[in-house]
Amino acid sequence: MNIVVAVKQVPDLIEELEINEEGTGLDPDVLSFVLNEFDDHALEEALLLKEEAGATVTVVGVDTTGELDQALYTAIAKGADKAVKIVGDFEEGERMPTPIMARLLADAIREMDYDLVFVGVQAADDLDGQVAPMLAALLGLPHVGVVVGVEKADGAVKVHKEFWGGITADVLVETPAVLGIQAARQAPRYAPVSRVRQAMKEATIEEIEVDDLPEAPDASVCRMFIPEATGRAEMLEGDEEAVAGKIVEILKERGLV
Amino acid sequence: MLTLPERIAFVLLAVVCVAIAARGFYRIYRAITRGEGSIPFHLFARRVVPVSIEILVQKPVMKARPVVSVFHAFVFFAFTFYTLVNIFDLAEGFVGFTTLHRGGLWALYNLIADLISVAGLVGMAALLIRRFGLKPFRFNDNVFLNPHVPEGIPRDSLIVGVFILLHVGSRWLGQAFRIAASGQPDWSQPTASVVSMALAGLSEGALTFGEHATWWLALGLILLFLPYFPYSKHIHLMIAPLNWILRDPEKPLGQLDPPTKNGEGAAHLHELRWFQLLDTYACIMCLRCQDVCPAHNTAQPLSPAALEINKRYFLNEHLGEFAAGTLNPPPLLEMAISKEAVWACTTCGACVDICPTGNRPMVDIVDIRRHLVYAGDELDPNLQDALESLMRQGNSFNKPARRRARWAKKLDFPIKDARKEPVEYLWFVGDFASYDPRMQENTKTVAQLFHQAGLDFGLLYEGERNSGNDVRRVGEEGLFEMLVEHNMKELGKAQFKAIVTTDPHTYNALKNEYRAYGLDVPVYHYTEVLADLIESGRLKVNGRLSNLVATYHDPCYLGRYNRVTEAPRRILRALGVDFREMPRHGVNTFCCGAGGGRIWMDTATGERPSEQRIKEAASLGDDLKYFVVACPKDMAMYSDAVKTAGYEGKIEVVDIAQLVARAVEREAHEQPQPA
Repeated sequence: MNIVVAVKQVPDLIEELEINEEGTGLDPDVLSFVLNEFDDHALEEALLLKEEAGATVTVVGVDTTGELDQALYTAIAKGADKAVKIVGDFEEGERMPTPIMARLLADAIREMDYDLVFVGVQAADDLDGQVAPMLAALLGLPHVGVVVGVEKADGAVKVHKEFWGGITADVLVETPAVLGIQAARQAPRYAPVSRVRQAMKEATIEEIEVDDLPEAPDASVCRMFIPEATGRAEMLEGDEEAVAGKIVEILKERGLV
Repeated sequence: MLTLPERIAFVLLAVVCVAIAARGFYRIYRAITRGEGSIPFHLFARRVVPVSIEILVQKPVMKARPVVSVFHAFVFFAFTFYTLVNIFDLAEGFVGFTTLHRGGLWALYNLIADLISVAGLVGMAALLIRRFGLKPFRFNDNVFLNPHVPEGIPRDSLIVGVFILLHVGSRWLGQAFRIAASGQPDWSQPTASVVSMALAGLSEGALTFGEHATWWLALGLILLFLPYFPYSKHIHLMIAPLNWILRDPEKPLGQLDPPTKNGEGAAHLHELRWFQLLDTYACIMCLRCQDVCPAHNTAQPLSPAALEINKRYFLNEHLGEFAAGTLNPPPLLEMAISKEAVWACTTCGACVDICPTGNRPMVDIVDIRRHLVYAGDELDPNLQDALESLMRQGNSFNKPARRRARWAKKLDFPIKDARKEPVEYLWFVGDFASYDPRMQENTKTVAQLFHQAGLDFGLLYEGERNSGNDVRRVGEEGLFEMLVEHNMKELGKAQFKAIVTTDPHTYNALKNEYRAYGLDVPVYHYTEVLADLIESGRLKVNGRLSNLVATYHDPCYLGRYNRVTEAPRRILRALGVDFREMPRHGVNTFCCGAGGGRIWMDTATGERPSEQRIKEAASLGDDLKYFVVACPKDMAMYSDAVKTAGYEGKIEVVDIAQLVARAVEREAHEQPQPA
């Protein structure tokens, strides 16, 4: 079984984010980038499947930050077999519109030997959730989103998926298929630095050059806002009994108990 | 003198027993050489005399349990002197040579032998009574033990104890028979002579039989014991001195070796280093290490002794195959120590420091952690978060690297950037002192004091990263190296004469670990610098805090690892506080539970070492008000412990710098105002 995991990097939220001069996006000068958390889970689920059922895991991403190598080497250190990055004349540090990213990924993946494509269900920088369905459409494959576990079945995979309201379901999908991963069955593993360094020394990242960006319809941001801090905290005064009483009151009032 | 058949029998017995024992010893040697690294035999010449002297005065044993140690010393002196006694007795048996002279040097020899025999018998009897009467040797129920240990240790103790009693007792009794046979008491052998009087009525034949029987019990028993030696803890009498001799005295406890096997750490017995295999033969199973272990003391499944004992029992059971290399031993986690125990270690170093036989179980634990990290074993989620943050930002707080020196902006004076202008002291602040909001106030106080004293100091600002001390002890060697490389690069950009640091863990790393990476400047803890500033008069305090009742907690990485115990006490004396010492202090301090990366892990249930420590402080008197610390991690640990142990409002945890600042302020207020 061959699993392709598509990844991207997003701005690290530990930094204080600033809006660029035009007011339409984040200022790339103060940004540092981390692997999208959901993609980390997608990779973890792929690695778990590899350990259980045997698989080759290929990680692929569009290098929009100039720093994707770090994420790819980390993926290899964790157990991925191969890493591919798509490079071109992209605006470094700027968010790439989803339709374009999906097309670039689809073009790359089409050339690969794959049974499953795992994509993080969404990413912090756009909360768009479109890469997986778009990839499925472009590749002409079935798609299941909000997946929280994948199991190998004969010529197919059994996918555990979440619905709204806490309902879950097991879904059988014929392979090849594209899955939007919400969470792996366990927390993404730690990549020891010595293994990452070993990967940097020994592994090679395959590069795919893109000359022209594909044409794709997209929306554009008019203005971006940073949340303003508001003082909504209410301090409860009094002894333990009184405070506990007030908490119960508030919870009841809001219909939470 | 023995009869001819006796002599033949003895020689035959000797040949058989020595051959069997030799095979055992050779296997032990082979087993030890299966460990990683090569044995530094070159240390032998240099170390044998100083180590022998230390052992002759029983220094390693006397570090704890004074009464028991005295009894041990009795047995030790008897056994040591008996080397000589046995040689002479052998000669008496075989060539008719005799030591029964009643004057000159022989009388002195006989006197010493006589008295030392009694001392040895008393010592051994006392140790046996303690072991089997008082039963002090217990592991807590959570500790992983080889199933044969519970009955194996008492059996071994009994065999060894009875052997010593019979060996020494028979020789002593033998002298009584000989004195009785000679017809008159020999007052150079007073105790044997007293016994001889009771034997005086026996027939000549009975006396001769007694002489022969006791000779055989004294010397024949040694032969019989020899084959058992390699399997007994009694082998400590050879391996423990060897363990001390083969240790490089210049290498501090605070400097770890890089992992073996290209960074993979130790998963199996033979992947440990040679000395970690030697350790298991040196171990006398006294359990002193677990007595001082903060994890074992709080019912965690860790006992450093059990680790060594389990290794030993495995080797006892599989020595031949292991030595020959035909056996691949099971993982250490299945035969020596549980994973929970491996992660419970605070690397406080107490086990290593207390061990009378020179063992370093903590090093095993770090090597096993290295394996777990390298092999991708699931980590405690909080630990993983901390490591990932350290990797990306160089601090464990998941805060941006460039915000490290933010606290300095709130001072009303600028601190030099040591990368831009030369300074005398480079202040390597450390993570907790830089990022923890509870500690930043104190960091500012230290800066104030340095500034007030006119100290020429500067920072690396955002260039500083976590020193990696605890990262290395968690077993994440790659990340440790990455942090060291970064810090060495930044230090290379700065000009300074010495380093001062607020954090004992950082202090240890910079002083001991960074040497291997080329750092060669004096490193000081801030208490050392403050003590000097006070004593030289650059900070004026003059014993102003005499109404303050306080105790001081020595941080492991300062007090035990680096023997810095006086500087903080010098400060407290200068401040004039009413100072009280906790029972466990100085190099024998008790860990707060935060070391070795434990501060990043979810603490297990049950009492914490820090809570135990606060209770220890509280036992010093109801009027004890201040629990003085000199480590930012201690501040975090004990501020919590005071609350959880129910001493909030009674005991206040305070950094030593706060007290200095208070005394300095008072001094400033009390100075006569200019007219």
